[in-house]
Amino acid sequence: MNHSSRFLMAVLLAGSAASAFASTSVKASVNGMVCAFCAQGIEKRLSKLPAAKAVYVDLKQKVVAVEVKEGQLLDPKTVTAEIVDAGYDVTKLETVDQSIAEIKAGMKVKK
Amino acid sequence: MRRLAASIAMALGAGAAAAAPMGFKGSVMAMGDFGPNWRESWANYAFTARDAIGAGGLYMRSDDEARTRTLVEVNYTRLLKRWNLEDAQANVWLFAGVGDIRGNDFAGSKLALAPGVQADYETTRVYLAATVRLYRAADLNHDFASVRAGFSFYEVDYEETQPWVVLEVRRMRGLSDKPEITPMLRLVHNRYFVELGVNSARQARANFMYIF
Repeated sequence: MNHSSRFLMAVLLAGSAASAFASTSVKASVNGMVCAFCAQGIEKRLSKLPAAKAVYVDLKQKVVAVEVKEGQLLDPKTVTAEIVDAGYDVTKLETVDQSIAEIKAGMKVKK
Repeated sequence: MRRLAASIAMALGAGAAAAAPMGFKGSVMAMGDFGPNWRESWANYAFTARDAIGAGGLYMRSDDEARTRTLVEVNYTRLLKRWNLEDAQANVWLFAGVGDIRGNDFAGSKLALAPGVQADYETTRVYLAATVRLYRAADLNHDFASVRAGFSFYEVDYEETQPWVVLEVRRMRGLSDKPEITPMLRLVHNRYFVELGVNSARQARANFMYIF
């Protein structure tokens, strides 16, 4: 194996290692979320999902995010169903390569 | 036995004071509204996102402190319509209660029916609600109506405590000759909801809600 091959291998390994540890979250924009007391249902229901590592609720930005446990999958439709069962409507749903801490930090910058 | 049932129901906690009269699907909500002339408590279980069934108790006393009523009821709460808006939520609720009412000016107990409706609108800074509930039994009419309006000085994050100022005006036919006006301080922190105030008769009031 020549030098360039070794370098390429190292880059690929580094890339795959980084992606293996990257956090994934399902992020939802939620309508009707105006009160912490009422919105606690969202947090409670989502926290019970087996694949949920952490849940974040932002009342001001109307955002709910669920960080997925490493090696597990979380169907965004499940997140929508839980939020609807808690009494709210989801207007936008996306899967992002961010942890809750990163999403939280981003929200604080917006505020 | 009935007295025991009434005591248990009142200990559980209660009523029209609620921002929303039921919790999320699968939750148990307990509520209480306590003052010298009005003690109400109930708990309900939300078996769907829109339906809850529960039990409660209500003690009422006339302004002159001469007559009292004690009602123990089972009730059904239905979220008839909800509007989830970008910065607000509005709801229409229906109540149906049936129970047993006793009084100190008649013998025994009577079958009581207590249907009602509530409409509310809330943003992160403003709260408005109107509730009408009929309390009817043979030769008894204690229909109840209340209006609530409140505001908060600022928005908060989900984990922070939010203080509100809420004004409630309520009246019950046949027991109170004049509307009861109560300014209250409401504190909301995640799973805790507490209101404290002094009404127009200079009586202290305390309300709470808790979701399990």
